[in-house]
Amino acid sequence: MSEAGSMQPAERRLSLLVTVLAFALPVLFVLVPLAIFLGYSFFSVDQGTIVYGLSLGNYVRFFTDPIFLPVFWNTIVLCVSVAIICILLAYPAAYFLTTLKGRWRYALLMLLLVPLLMSYVIKIYAIRSILGLNGFLNKALVAVGILQQPSTLFVFNMNAILLTLTLLLIPFAILPIFLSLERIPQVLLRASDDLGASGLQTFLRITLPLSLPGVASAASFVFVLAIGDFLTPQMVGGISGFTFGRILYSQFGTAYNWPFGAALSVALAVVVIAAILVGERFGRNRGTSI
Amino acid sequence: MGLKKLFLRMATIGLGIGLMTSAALAANLRVLAWDGYADPDWVKDFTAATGIGVDVVFIGSDDEIWAKIKGSEGQDFDVFAVNTAQLQRYIKADLVSPIDITKLPNQKEVLPRFRDVSQVSGDTKDGKVYGIPFCFDSIGLIYDTDKVKPAPTSMSVLWDPAYKGKVLAYDNGEHNFSFTALTLGYKDPFNLNEEQMAAVKAKLVELKRNVLSFYTTADEAQQIYQNNDVALIWANYGQQQVKALQKIGAHVAYVNPSEGALAWLDNWVISKGVRDNAAAEKWIDFMLTKKVSGELSERTGFGNTVVESSSAGGNDKLVWLNNVEDPLKRSDLWNEIKATP
Repeated sequence: MSEAGSMQPAERRLSLLVTVLAFALPVLFVLVPLAIFLGYSFFSVDQGTIVYGLSLGNYVRFFTDPIFLPVFWNTIVLCVSVAIICILLAYPAAYFLTTLKGRWRYALLMLLLVPLLMSYVIKIYAIRSILGLNGFLNKALVAVGILQQPSTLFVFNMNAILLTLTLLLIPFAILPIFLSLERIPQVLLRASDDLGASGLQTFLRITLPLSLPGVASAASFVFVLAIGDFLTPQMVGGISGFTFGRILYSQFGTAYNWPFGAALSVALAVVVIAAILVGERFGRNRGTSI
Repeated sequence: MGLKKLFLRMATIGLGIGLMTSAALAANLRVLAWDGYADPDWVKDFTAATGIGVDVVFIGSDDEIWAKIKGSEGQDFDVFAVNTAQLQRYIKADLVSPIDITKLPNQKEVLPRFRDVSQVSGDTKDGKVYGIPFCFDSIGLIYDTDKVKPAPTSMSVLWDPAYKGKVLAYDNGEHNFSFTALTLGYKDPFNLNEEQMAAVKAKLVELKRNVLSFYTTADEAQQIYQNNDVALIWANYGQQQVKALQKIGAHVAYVNPSEGALAWLDNWVISKGVRDNAAAEKWIDFMLTKKVSGELSERTGFGNTVVESSSAGGNDKLVWLNNVEDPLKRSDLWNEIKATP
């Protein structure tokens, strides 16, 4: 405090400037745009031009029109499934990483995260050529003899979206789980061992509960990223894989109905914020109890 | 002071060059066009033949043309290219000048379907001609010659259960409503009444059940074609798409359906702010020479109005794209169709 008191006026002005900037930037680039799109959701469109009069029409339409709520609900179910599958696959992978010693651990972790350096679109294109009827997956399954003939099970439908999103988002699940597993003090595991617990008991009663915060944040990460994605459903979803993101996208693109698109985004934002809050709440409660 | 003299001389020369170029610029014809419509060698030939210099600005979208022309109220350009669906908007906003056909001798030599401009929907208003057709492409049907026998003649083949799961359609409500309306035999596919709209919607839900996927880019369609069993593609990108597929060794052919193929048509128009009307007319007439128009098709794959090209045979029925009655409604209905299980 005494240091602050002896600050030169110039220094004080500088620190004031930095403080103002620190608050102004998030307000300007996050809160103001959010407020603008919230505002837009109350406007309407007439003959291709936006009418700046307040109305709840967009929200009424969202809740009453028979097409939006079912698609919205299906999309949430899809993204919860993606999150669950990601966790089920990522947990063993992350656990395996923590059993490795020294250099190998981080080298392998890096390898698992390498896909994040690639362009999203290129990855989708690559996955699509794997999934096609004459794609790599079908060819491999037929060659091995599991399938008699190429299957349409993973071609342009909800399954294809599920598979693609899971593949794309798995790195986001591995990282938080790995971090929470790594943070568990080794002494706890050794103590459990000393007291005669079996490997399985130690895992179920010590490791698993202590890693749940990581699982919660991994799940919320994956869910939020999946539900905001319109490109993957657009490119691998075909005719049956119609998701909320695609409806939203069409409102801003071909339909030129920004106000309704904004209202739909508000609905999406509510779900996303709820998912983040739930993930954070789980993460913090467990985290502080260590 | 030799140095001072040198500076003075340099400044004079610089000023001279500046004045010369600005004088030249002032007289140059200002052209706004899509890439491929004003290639450098044509511009060079035009200048050599007429002595008129040309400044070309290329644009990338319909919105960009509107922004550039509307932004300057037509004062920034003398002549520009725009499609028939857009042209009426420019006429309404008083941004284009009527064109005197008699000043374009080459227009008499164009293909029959373009010879009488008043028969080209969208190019005229109140008996005055505003657009001269220049470049077009149809949105026909690509079919795999090994899988689709006999060769299709109508878009109705897209609904054929024999090709279930082998059809690629385009993800756009506006066009899909228009072509389905044509398939159903409606006269004006761009202005549908409630009843027709409902019929088209039901028909599109049926189409969806026969379709493998809806694509957006030509590239995407090609990739899907390579990795799946595709027999028919609704070819939004026309000739370019056919050529790209043939290049990768696909056995495909192209047909304009008998009920009429949707087609876009770009026109040369003269802006309201034209400085030298005669120069603009000369430019348009030059574009309609056999040489330039023929080369246009060779280079871009699009159809031209002077020499026969693979976009459309002489007897193919083409329906020039026009503004639809309510784009928003079509887009909403399209979403409903996609959401229908």
